[in-house]
Amino acid sequence: MLAYALSEALVNIRRASQSAAMSIGTIAIAFLTLGGFLLFSENLGAVVERWASAAELSVYLRDDIDAAARDALIAELSSHPAVAAVEFVAKDQALDRFTTDFPELGDVVGSADNPFPPSLEVRLRPDGAAAGAADAMAAQLTERSGVADVRYDRQWLARLLGVVTTVRLAGLAIAAVLVLGAAFTVAAVVRLSLDARHVELDIMQLVGAPFAFIRGPSIAEGALLGGVGAVLSLAALWAVFVALRGRLNEAVAALGASTDVKFLGPENALLLVVAGLSVGAIAGLIVSRVVR
Amino acid sequence: MIETHGLGKAYGRGLYALRDLNLKVDKGEFVFLTGASGAGKSTLLRLLLLQDRPSEGVAIVNGRNLARMSRREIQAYRRSVGFVFQDFKLVSGKTVFENVSFALRVLGTPIEQQRRRTYQVLKWVGLQHRLNAYPLELSGGEQQRVAIARALVNEPQLVLADEPTGNLDPDLSLEIMNLFREINAGGTTVLVATHDRELIKWVGRRTVHLEHGRVLEAPASAAGSG
Repeated sequence: MLAYALSEALVNIRRASQSAAMSIGTIAIAFLTLGGFLLFSENLGAVVERWASAAELSVYLRDDIDAAARDALIAELSSHPAVAAVEFVAKDQALDRFTTDFPELGDVVGSADNPFPPSLEVRLRPDGAAAGAADAMAAQLTERSGVADVRYDRQWLARLLGVVTTVRLAGLAIAAVLVLGAAFTVAAVVRLSLDARHVELDIMQLVGAPFAFIRGPSIAEGALLGGVGAVLSLAALWAVFVALRGRLNEAVAALGASTDVKFLGPENALLLVVAGLSVGAIAGLIVSRVVR
Repeated sequence: MIETHGLGKAYGRGLYALRDLNLKVDKGEFVFLTGASGAGKSTLLRLLLLQDRPSEGVAIVNGRNLARMSRREIQAYRRSVGFVFQDFKLVSGKTVFENVSFALRVLGTPIEQQRRRTYQVLKWVGLQHRLNAYPLELSGGEQQRVAIARALVNEPQLVLADEPTGNLDPDLSLEIMNLFREINAGGTTVLVATHDRELIKWVGRRTVHLEHGRVLEAPASAAGSG
């Protein structure tokens, strides 16, 4: 039955090659959009992950904190399960770092009255369980005497992740609309094939052919159009990726994440092809249901 | 083989194509349905092929009420019925051999059996030398013989033919009728709708005359002339 359905589907596609080509093109554009969003999503996810693993907690101390209180805080933080390491940065060290990083601003700050507070730079463990514990710890630290302020990277990372998720959902919604449009195109082409085969279909019904034989070619035709469209979209996406890889890597490096952009993983690439096959097959099945 | 009781088909309010039809056709019988255009011949065949549902009455074929069949049962029933139409209904893009074997292929028949049976039946209708020809390369008589071969390839118990000689000249019509007589001689029940009185007279079998959707006369089986 499968061989019959596939061979008839290929005959149909050959018979209406121009319509089939347009349908494949529409599917390819829709899946290129979807694939593009997946690619963006995967790579941005990797960048954010990298930032998250390097997240730090900065605890700014009051200038008047005494050495005993400071050392007690360092000891307490060092033994916390979410903390990987604690480093004390004295006022002078902070000023040195600033003038090294921003030499052109050295005159503005001057050296007589150092405005930088002493601080503790707390490097956190990268695992997810530690993140929750670190959130609680950051909240508690702001209440401690001797602590002037607490800056926690993860808080803005969480906000960034929220924005990324919104963009990702919007992209998927746009891609879904395009895929739906492409499905209608596939349905139109399969419908044309059904019309061209009306004598065959009449005969099949009259000889008592099972529905699998009657509808199989339409489903196979839809699946082939969708599948080929999805594979072409992957090829196009790869070509665009290779052409832009250098610039993308530069952009990611500029964001401070030392990671190379990567093409879609095998799961997502396979998902794209399976989605193409499925969308086409479903469109073919729906259209073929006119044959009763 | 075929029994109808009060069978009727209405298209729209009060427009009956067939009305109160009571008919009995025995197994192995050859029956002509005749009458003017619009008398209800084709409607009766459409009902027997389950291309249409009756508006009233029942049709029973081989002891089974056609109105109560599920989709699967309809498929199984149609496998036991051969059909021949005036316009042949051949697929122009398929060869003679493919047109006939198609009826087996879509039933999932093994390929060797498809080939053997298709060749046998095409040889029987005298077209074994035109296996690779396309329908448009054949004469009207040859095309109808291909259609008959396709109707027979599944070895049906019942053959329904709707004006099978409507597009053929008298000589070819006789040739086609001879094929139907031979099919019937093999034990298959044959029901042929035609308005060609000469042909009916020549074949000389039982004739059911329809007029305005009703049976006008249904004489008992007459002796065939040949």
